[in-house]
Amino acid sequence: MISFETISNLVAAFFTLCIFSFLYKDNPFYQFAEQLLVGVSVGYGVVYTYFRVFVPYVWQPIVLKHQYILIFPVIIGLLYLFRFSKNWSWLSRYPIAWSMVMVGMGVPLGMHATVLVQMRSAMLPLDNINTVLIFIGTIAVLTYFYFSKAHTGLYGKFTKIGVWYMMIGFGASFGLTVMARISLLIGRIQFLVGDVLHLIK
Amino acid sequence: MNFFERLQELDRRWIYLIVALAIIIPLVVPFNSKTYTTEPTEKMYQLIDSYSGRSDRAVLISFLHDASVMPELYPMEIAILRHCFERKIKVFTITFTASGAPIIDLALNRVKEEYPEIKSGVDYCNFGFKPIILPIVLGMGENIATAIDTDAEGRKIATLPIMKDITNYNEMNLVVETSGSAAGGYWITYARVKFGVNVAIGVTAVMAADEFPYLQSGQLTGMLTGLKGAAEYEKLVDVFAAYRDDSHPHGRPFSSEILREKDTDKLVNITTQDNAVFTTQEYQNFLNKYPTAAAILDKIKKVKDGSVMIKVTDLTQDQKDQLGNDAWTALKYQTHNIIYKFKTARIGMNAQSIAHIMIIVFIVIGNIGYFINRKKQNLAK
Repeated sequence: MISFETISNLVAAFFTLCIFSFLYKDNPFYQFAEQLLVGVSVGYGVVYTYFRVFVPYVWQPIVLKHQYILIFPVIIGLLYLFRFSKNWSWLSRYPIAWSMVMVGMGVPLGMHATVLVQMRSAMLPLDNINTVLIFIGTIAVLTYFYFSKAHTGLYGKFTKIGVWYMMIGFGASFGLTVMARISLLIGRIQFLVGDVLHLIK
Repeated sequence: MNFFERLQELDRRWIYLIVALAIIIPLVVPFNSKTYTTEPTEKMYQLIDSYSGRSDRAVLISFLHDASVMPELYPMEIAILRHCFERKIKVFTITFTASGAPIIDLALNRVKEEYPEIKSGVDYCNFGFKPIILPIVLGMGENIATAIDTDAEGRKIATLPIMKDITNYNEMNLVVETSGSAAGGYWITYARVKFGVNVAIGVTAVMAADEFPYLQSGQLTGMLTGLKGAAEYEKLVDVFAAYRDDSHPHGRPFSSEILREKDTDKLVNITTQDNAVFTTQEYQNFLNKYPTAAAILDKIKKVKDGSVMIKVTDLTQDQKDQLGNDAWTALKYQTHNIIYKFKTARIGMNAQSIAHIMIIVFIVIGNIGYFINRKKQNLAK
């Protein structure tokens, strides 16, 4: 008897091949798989959100537990939907205003986590080659983005070092991106060759 | 038209075909290659390992991704969960995206298959999908049971045995977030600054460059980078957490020296291993522990270079039954064979290496061709 796992693997394999067929050229199989993915994702999201968000956080507390105070945040949240109306779209600004609470909270903590600590870690004693390289790189890149002075002469040469630093950074990012994309392909091929064809031991 | 001109005219579909072959062949024909572990992976492993056997410490894994980045992140999650189950470390899981919930279930079930003694609500707990991130991140700093309320199975968190000695981030002292985008952002900004929780991440390779500054500043305790990071963690689990001998019945602690030892390599072979290899002393100890095994194993053992070898595939079902479950498990362990789900990242890294070499060769040939053609065009002018 064919197991559920076998059937689901075969369906997944079929759609994987449909998507891969785009590498040859655009075709109806690819279009079908792509649009089905969008549809399934939205369908899954709607159903999951209904059961895991609406029911436990809205329906149960208000209707079953009679926590009527929660009606107010629900109404404020629903105001977002007025975004679609030309005349009433201004109402959607109220929930946005509420979200500013989070922004207010995030500013001091975010300033600490992403600016102050980063600055502190860039101000290290120049006692090894790494910190010296970081120091030169930080200054050189910052000067490259200072456009109130022409990049000529000695200053221009120094900003060129900043360009080199950035190029090395972009190269590293490119290398990591290639690795990531190949990894995704490996994952799919591992599925096709291993889970479906059982050729990987 | 010379070779390089032809190459530049080559239909891209040939390149796709070559890339596909460069990946398929190393997957189907696996080989043992070295996996070098890096400091960010080792630090993360060590911190998690330091919670081993402690009821007042736990790890939270946040699955902040959907299926599209699973090839990179899923092996990490499997490896971390396996580490926790091997070393009896309390572990919680959570996701803030609806599509992350089935991935948690899949990962937990896949690892649990090998650990029947591990129980939900006792050794691990899945908080499941929570739609709002900030109140949860901040709330857990005060009280986890209040912030989360119920787990994915609908049970009250406060009533679960796993919550004994666990109140907030003082105990659940490490958050590991696996994500294909801004991993660890909320935890670094809110939970770390406000409550001092340790944060580690597992990211797709694309995102790694953005995360290195946080690693350098110490805001991140550790980081797993893409498939490579997963492969490193798999190796550490095999060498330490899943290691068994008489003095280490539940794994052994991390040690850089052990990683450098030559013998360590035989613990991490990703090709199928069916020979249980003992030193003479180890074999004698094995027989002392399982005296009934001698009658069966002495018949099929082979002695080579002072080592006793037993091919486990030579044993019949009857012989396995006679050995008993404990002796059979111990014998199988001695092969150091790693099951597929616990080595997927390392198998994948073999294909990755071949693909990278191929891409580098393409880039070099392409550039040589470009410069030759440019020189030709300049001469023609």
